[in-house]
Amino acid sequence: MVRPRMLTWSNLAVVIPGAILVALIAIPIGALIARGVSHGDVLAALRTPFATTALWLSLLTSGISVVVAVGLGTPAAYLLARRSFPGRSVIDTLIDLPIVLPPVVGGLALLVALGPRGAIGQPLHAIGVNVAFTTGAVIVAQIFVSAPFYVRSARAGFEGVDRRLEAVSATLGAGSWTTFRRVTIPMAMPALVGGAVMCWARALGEFGATIMFAGNLAGRTQTMPLAILEAIETDVDAALALAIILIVIAVGILTVFKGLAWIGRPIQ
Amino acid sequence: MNVRMRVGAFDLGIKLSVGREITVLYGNSGAGKTLTLEVLAGLLTPCEGRVEVNGQLVFDRESGVNVRPHRRQVGYVVQNYALFPHLTVRQNISYGISHLGKDERRSRINGSAEMLGLQGLLDRRPSQISGGQAQRVALARALARRPPVLLLDEPFASVDSAVRGALRHELRRLARDLGLSVLMVTHDLTEAYNVGDRLAIIDDGCILQEGPRHEVFDRPTTRRTAELLGVNNIIPGRVVVGDHECMHVVTDLGKVVAASGAATFSPGDKVCLAIRAEQVFLEDPGRPIRHRDNHFAVTIVDEAAFGFSHTLFARVESASPGAPHLEIQIPAHPYQVLGVPARRDWRIRIPPDAVHVVMG
Repeated sequence: MVRPRMLTWSNLAVVIPGAILVALIAIPIGALIARGVSHGDVLAALRTPFATTALWLSLLTSGISVVVAVGLGTPAAYLLARRSFPGRSVIDTLIDLPIVLPPVVGGLALLVALGPRGAIGQPLHAIGVNVAFTTGAVIVAQIFVSAPFYVRSARAGFEGVDRRLEAVSATLGAGSWTTFRRVTIPMAMPALVGGAVMCWARALGEFGATIMFAGNLAGRTQTMPLAILEAIETDVDAALALAIILIVIAVGILTVFKGLAWIGRPIQ
Repeated sequence: MNVRMRVGAFDLGIKLSVGREITVLYGNSGAGKTLTLEVLAGLLTPCEGRVEVNGQLVFDRESGVNVRPHRRQVGYVVQNYALFPHLTVRQNISYGISHLGKDERRSRINGSAEMLGLQGLLDRRPSQISGGQAQRVALARALARRPPVLLLDEPFASVDSAVRGALRHELRRLARDLGLSVLMVTHDLTEAYNVGDRLAIIDDGCILQEGPRHEVFDRPTTRRTAELLGVNNIIPGRVVVGDHECMHVVTDLGKVVAASGAATFSPGDKVCLAIRAEQVFLEDPGRPIRHRDNHFAVTIVDEAAFGFSHTLFARVESASPGAPHLEIQIPAHPYQVLGVPARRDWRIRIPPDAVHVVMG
């Protein structure tokens, strides 16, 4: 066997750009962790009510957001994958829009619609319901920004299900609901879980839309990213500690995601 | 069934009835075979017509009846089986009988596993079994519901040729033992002939001919059916003398006597002669002529070997210039004994029984 020579010019032409990109991501994160560990005490920062409150609020709101996104997004994804109806491509584009839109714009749009003087916000305000600048607003902002990630993935998942399996299911006496439950969902499961994980990650990191629509109120709307913004002005070590916690969670999510992708790898 | 439908630019018009036997729907790919099965199973809705399954009206445009697929008494084994990859073999087989009690379910699974030789495979996944085994699982899954009607789409297409013969035999046994009405689709002529009790030839969305397999195979009615049934020599001609027993047909090769006809033809009718390559016999020109048969002097211009037999392409000496060569199939043994490789000039003999007259 001939060993490939590692250091040829053509190898370098491929390796160097890749190395630069990896460095661009690895160096800042490494620096942040190094600084956080050497200067501040991450565990001590974690014990402050400031951090625990933000962490708890982040987990609570992002958790609810994912549940709502899955509940509302699954039927939407199925319809987009399977049915053709007028306005389908418009709806498709609309659902993709928050992915490409700056989240701040999304937050502004939510504020204009649901704010105290907004088109929907005003009548709601009249009957005593306020959405903007509440924990509910955090959830709405997160759903706005993150649900499209789930719908996209779920839609691709449903599109990838072999239609013949569903046809066979029908000839074996299964009605459409049974077929959906016993064939379509299990076959699309890797995409559904993957979409939900990405959706959750996106909700957890949500910043722009939240600060616009929900504000930065400790204990009510101050999630982790917002808490970092506040801490950077008062206590840099606390900000670093919070950032490291988010990195740990993100790495955890990615690990789970990759693990699920491995479990849900194509069976045939 | 009697249906008409349109799928894109394709027109399907099928009139077919299937009894408690194996009917093979034979035709080229794109002829509408799978569409026919899908209409029967209820996966496609025809635009007109009427479909009855096992005496139950499942589709009728006029009265608006259209029974959904899961309420039809039809077992359907699709091409490449479409086993559920996320379920084990056992779960696949029991998929259609989950409404039954646990004991009944178990006895049916075990029964079909035994019948089809799947005992050791029940806890495997579809990805862990072979093509032939997957085919049996698909069959077991469809049969677990005890459907009176079984539809099979190219059931042996992705099975190794070594196990194909055994599976065909097994299918015939199953159909007989369970009293099934089977409609099987194939584009493989040997398979159609080996498995079918009846043969229906489908071409371009229409049934060209249907009947007991020998009858269809030996007596095609049209030139197109003869072609589809693998008749290699199809020779256009005109009837000069015709009665039911015997016809004289003038062709490019010369005058040919034919004793078999799709119908009774009269002098002047334009017809085609269908002659199977294996029913053209090579003879030594020195041998005496049996006057009842058709004899032609030929020169062999080309040949091809297919394992146990040889196909020879012969120019008929009396033929008008430009006439196509005649195809002759000869088994390997006589090929050697006669010494065909060493010699090019021969005489051929075509018994009148082997000359089948079809509409031109």
